Amino acid sequence: MRHVIETMGTVASIDVTGAALVDLTELESIFRAVDARFSLYRPDSELSLIASGRLMLTDASETLLASYARALDWRAATHGLFTPHRPDGTIDLNGLVKAEAIEQAGAFLDGSGCPQWTINVGGDILARTATLPALTGIADPADDSAILCSIALRGTRRAIATSGSAQRGDHIWRGGDVLSPHFAQVSVIADDIVTADILATAIVAGGPGALDDITDRWPVDVLAVGRDGVLSATPGFRAALSQ
Amino acid sequence: MRTRAVLGSIFASVAVLVVGWQAGAAVVVTSTATTSAPQASGVTPAPVVGGTPTPAATPTAVPVPAGPADGTYTGASVATRYGSVQVSIAFAGGAITDVAALKLTDADGRSVQISNRAAPLLHDEVLASQSANVSNVTGATYTTRAYLSSVQSALDQAGF
Repeated sequence: MRHVIETMGTVASIDVTGAALVDLTELESIFRAVDARFSLYRPDSELSLIASGRLMLTDASETLLASYARALDWRAATHGLFTPHRPDGTIDLNGLVKAEAIEQAGAFLDGSGCPQWTINVGGDILARTATLPALTGIADPADDSAILCSIALRGTRRAIATSGSAQRGDHIWRGGDVLSPHFAQVSVIADDIVTADILATAIVAGGPGALDDITDRWPVDVLAVGRDGVLSATPGFRAALSQ
Repeated sequence: MRTRAVLGSIFASVAVLVVGWQAGAAVVVTSTATTSAPQASGVTPAPVVGGTPTPAATPTAVPVPAGPADGTYTGASVATRYGSVQVSIAFAGGAITDVAALKLTDADGRSVQISNRAAPLLHDEVLASQSANVSNVTGATYTTRAYLSSVQSALDQAGF
């Protein structure tokens, strides 16, 4: 059964296999809560209150502070390629909280007794596979209506996220500069969706150097598409290609 | 002994090449082995390799006179200023057909998983996977409006 929810400026597609009963209202409320707290396009969100100076960061909720702390950890780990700070100094947690919402929704589905499910929010996917792998297409950055290839998510390799410079390229910043990125699109397969999402963003921001550094330091599988259309893939990604 | 000496010199120079590569230098490993000891001038002195090459594959019936027998040879782990390096080399017909770094450590002594790095992937290699029956599509974050024209939207309508 597939559920489609419009949230966080994008669309969540949630697929639950089998007859497990899912409280859809509660599932939707997970995304609504994240949206309400962190969205900067909502003038009344907690993060908007901080951005406009109406709320001191020191008075922020524990939930917001925990996400901000996690984002800062990732900023340090990626040497600033991922950052929760906009060039003007505004705290923007959009690059993290969507993946956190997927995490929470996944935990909810697990808690509801669903043995097999996929959650796709705006192109970032987390899967729980019991028997069959979750076959996942990777969009062709040169053609919205086409798939470049498909891979199988299975076992502990549960998450894939894709970052690009073609759409919404402005959510990748580096030192306040607008760069012309080397990669048009980067997909990262990882055990968890936060790692996949943030490292995909970091590789697009950092280019080939970041690709080597990140594949050295994290157990992730990567497909990178250059602006010239050239594909690069790690051995693990090749192995995940479905035939 | 000659074969062993040749292998030793090749391992040594490959170790230097790998170190050079690790240090950021552009390195091209040629596919042909020569019987003379390769010179690595201008680089850190080549470490002496004490490894015993052991063919992993059965040597061919006719050995190549001036070169090592066909097979895969593993060099000893060599300590360099950049950390330890160990490589294996595959020979066929007296020529190097493959060089693989088995162990590399970075300046901090951490193990580097060189094998996890991305390498070029031909479009032909992914073609077969396009026809798979996917139930989801990952792509650069789409907005609600972009979703409407996405493959994901089509899959959702089809109820996958």
